[in-house]
Amino acid sequence: MPLHLAPQIDPTLRSALDETVLMTQLADALGSPLGVILPQQLADNVAAFRSVFSGHRLSGQIYYAHKANRSSALVRELAATDAGIDVASLAELQHALGAGFVPQRIMATGPKNEEFLWLCARTGVTVSADSVGELATLAALVTDWSLPPVRVMARLSGFTSTGVQLGSRRSRFGVSAAAVSEVLDTIAKHAAALDLVGVAFHLDTIGLPEKAVALEGCLGALDECRRRGLRPWSVDIGGGFGVNYLADGTQWEQYTSALTEAVLGRRAPLTWNGHGYGLRAEGGHVRGALNLYPAHRPVSGPAYLDRLLRTTSPEQRRPLGTLLLDNMYDLHVEPGRALLDQCGLVLASVLEVRDEANGDTIVRLDCNARDVSLEEHGVLMDPVVVHRTTPAAPGPAGVYLFGNLCLEADLITRRQVFLPSRPRPGDLLAFVNTAGYLMDFSATHALRQPIGRKVALYRDDGAWRWCLDEQYWPVHHRAEAP
Amino acid sequence: MRFESMTDAIGNTPLVRIDSAVHGLRNIDLYAKMELLNPFGSLKDRAAWNMARPLLAQAVERGDTVVELSSGNTAKALAVIAGMHGLTFKSVTNRMKVAEIKDLLLLLGAQIDELPGQAECLDPTDTDDPLTRMYHRLAGSGGGYLHTDQYFNELNVDAHLNGTGPEIVKDLDGRAPDYFIACVGTAGSSTGVASALRQHNPDVRVVGLVAHKSDFIPGIRTIDEVHEVGLFDPDVYDTVETITADDAIDGLLTLVRRCGTLAGPTGGGAYQGAVRHLRAIDAQLTERRTAVFIVCDRVESYMSYLRERRPELFGRPPRRNSVRTVTDADVRQAVTVDVAEAERWIAERRGLVVDLRSPFAYQALHIDGSINIVDELFAELLHGGLPFGRRQPVLLVCPVGEKSARYAALLTRMGHPDVRSLDGGIIAWRDAGAELVRD
Ligand SMILES: Cc1ncc(COP(=O)(O)O)c(C=O)c1O
Ligand SMILES: Cc1ncc(COP(=O)(O)O)c(C=O)c1O
Repeated sequence: MPLHLAPQIDPTLRSALDETVLMTQLADALGSPLGVILPQQLADNVAAFRSVFSGHRLSGQIYYAHKANRSSALVRELAATDAGIDVASLAELQHALGAGFVPQRIMATGPKNEEFLWLCARTGVTVSADSVGELATLAALVTDWSLPPVRVMARLSGFTSTGVQLGSRRSRFGVSAAAVSEVLDTIAKHAAALDLVGVAFHLDTIGLPEKAVALEGCLGALDECRRRGLRPWSVDIGGGFGVNYLADGTQWEQYTSALTEAVLGRRAPLTWNGHGYGLRAEGGHVRGALNLYPAHRPVSGPAYLDRLLRTTSPEQRRPLGTLLLDNMYDLHVEPGRALLDQCGLVLASVLEVRDEANGDTIVRLDCNARDVSLEEHGVLMDPVVVHRTTPAAPGPAGVYLFGNLCLEADLITRRQVFLPSRPRPGDLLAFVNTAGYLMDFSATHALRQPIGRKVALYRDDGAWRWCLDEQYWPVHHRAEAP
Repeated sequence: MRFESMTDAIGNTPLVRIDSAVHGLRNIDLYAKMELLNPFGSLKDRAAWNMARPLLAQAVERGDTVVELSSGNTAKALAVIAGMHGLTFKSVTNRMKVAEIKDLLLLLGAQIDELPGQAECLDPTDTDDPLTRMYHRLAGSGGGYLHTDQYFNELNVDAHLNGTGPEIVKDLDGRAPDYFIACVGTAGSSTGVASALRQHNPDVRVVGLVAHKSDFIPGIRTIDEVHEVGLFDPDVYDTVETITADDAIDGLLTLVRRCGTLAGPTGGGAYQGAVRHLRAIDAQLTERRTAVFIVCDRVESYMSYLRERRPELFGRPPRRNSVRTVTDADVRQAVTVDVAEAERWIAERRGLVVDLRSPFAYQALHIDGSINIVDELFAELLHGGLPFGRRQPVLLVCPVGEKSARYAALLTRMGHPDVRSLDGGIIAWRDAGAELVRD
């Protein structure tokens, strides 16, 4: 029984994938790997988040976490919507400004150097500050350069719960929620330079209860602000809304059960060298924890936000969305992965298909594990085969996918992947739904191999058109209307 | 029966026949081992007491804290036992999913530590399971803990090998049943009972029941998780079968409604799994056989679990004056006033301003002179009738003017002639620059 993990493919992505001639031409012309971006899908995803906001009657901004993809097409298309952008480096800020975002629509997050802070202050973007030190540096820049006051958010972490002690992984970022008064002292000291507009958090967890505790903690911090006469009106709850990568939950369950059995030696290994994805056997029992992204997530993206807003707050016992509204607060979110759901794919050409003596089949691809970083991000999802001609042997083929680096570890998949039909050299594998983090977050020039090019694929006049990613702007040059 | 201590009441639970008119098996006598009658409420009283007892004297001397990875019955029993000996109990869990059990543990004085959820971005350094993380924590703390370690402790099995199992044999007049069916959590009870029974009859068929993979049945493991359990040995079971949450609830309803047995979900699951497994065998039998299943605990702690999965079981008659019965047409009839008009109305002290937002939000900032009745409470009051006189003019305020319009419509329907809603709510009020105060 082949263990498939078929990807979730929505109609737009499906229709792009069906353009097999175009796909092969693009890969032939521009090389492998090739990132294919569907910028227009991003606007639909923004709208889906917006409708959760309006369902809860909440105002606030959706800041796309730029770090999820380097593409210009995505950022420029986004500039044409009403969304904002979360930039985490100087270059991302420059990119956003150049794509048409006015500073009011930009939020700067993450660790920052002085140049980054200066450009934030100079242009007037909102700075989500990680520490009291960062606020002090920013205030000094504003004063030294006689700049107008900068809008700042205070990022908090280390929220505590009452009754049940809810554990949370320790974060590198943010000021301890218990030390919020230090932040407010700093703001008060630099009142002419810093304008506190809200508080923020970003927790790297899929757990709703932790986020509920954090959100309620932010309400407490904002109350402290009001007590001191400050009037910040917003809470930024960061990203981490997740994506559902798989079409079929049963496949995910079957796969993970089979993996457990394989780790225990009750069935043949499913992986290269018996890799256990975090599980290991000790004395006939499974130890460790499955270190994989939960690829089948029926409640993800906008639905996850909705679920969070419906969650009853642990202390005040009222839905969190209602509490935000009661307090007249704006809600900001910074989704990266979730906004790029269904927004792109990576094409890689097959260099070699070879059967080993032990029965394993190897497919060597013209790309490496950094170009399609499924393994690094723990996302298990099958690629789609784009055949040039009708496949010789129809029927599933179980294969391992190797990359083009001279590294033992350069496996595009450490698990045996079941392709619907056996590919031949020259065919393409399409790794769909990889726009969020899996396309270029980790890509490098190791071995002087080029980083894959990107193209933007868009619908115009009822047809698919394409251009290089850096050539894309949301204005499409259509033929003269008759 | 006279006891010196409540722990003496642990064990010696009755074995009760299930009426064949209920289960429909013709050739099999089906008995339930009524573990729900243990003093702290479950089968786990036996294991908790057996594991803790030998270590208690020392722990009391040192003032140790009792710890266990448990989100249910073991925690409950240990919390009680710790309390009886003047010790604190800490329950470490990766998610306490049933609200009543959490509340009961807090009531018993337990501390609850919940472990964090999975990372959204993969962290390759994070490969440990909750148990390993807890071991690390205990090791790092340099002592002060009595860790009962139910998933690995042989005393958990022994409690049933020397207690539950022999009791069943005694009540069946010295014979082991032909079939034994039990749910698997730590595997302690099924493993212990199975070996006790096999000492009398090596041919006893043992059926282990685990939860279907995508289902949650409090107290037992899913088919994958069971392999993580140190005490779990697949060879104990002739078969391991899965049950769904639906099976468990169907069985629970049969036991509570027809068998005088106030069983929790795993008792129901064991009944349902037993009957399902035995039905095929029953059809082929020509002589009588005996089967025993375990009812682990009681139904009362699972109301929220049942309400969530079978809301129809809790259908209550609709209450009068419910805001849910207000139609959109009613709302369109409601009187609304804009910010400027509301400011005038308030300045002239024409009536009562009721702010329907949460107390926390109200205390932070509100319209001067308004009173706060949070919407839930207001709804509750209205079920009983108007909480103010008909001659008392009223202005209702909420965040965006939607809820207040619904309540204004409801009050109008209840016969109040002079009620209005602030259009756009307090957010419009703020945006218009009108005054907000805090005390
Ligand atoms: C501060 C901040 N906001 C938003 C995000 C985006 O998270 P995600 O892509 O999971 O939505 C990240 C991710 O690292 C982050 O650090
Ligand atoms: C409600 C319930 N049923 C069944 C069991 C299974 O018992 P054991 O742990 O002995 O396998 C447990 C164990 O925690 C339980 O809490």
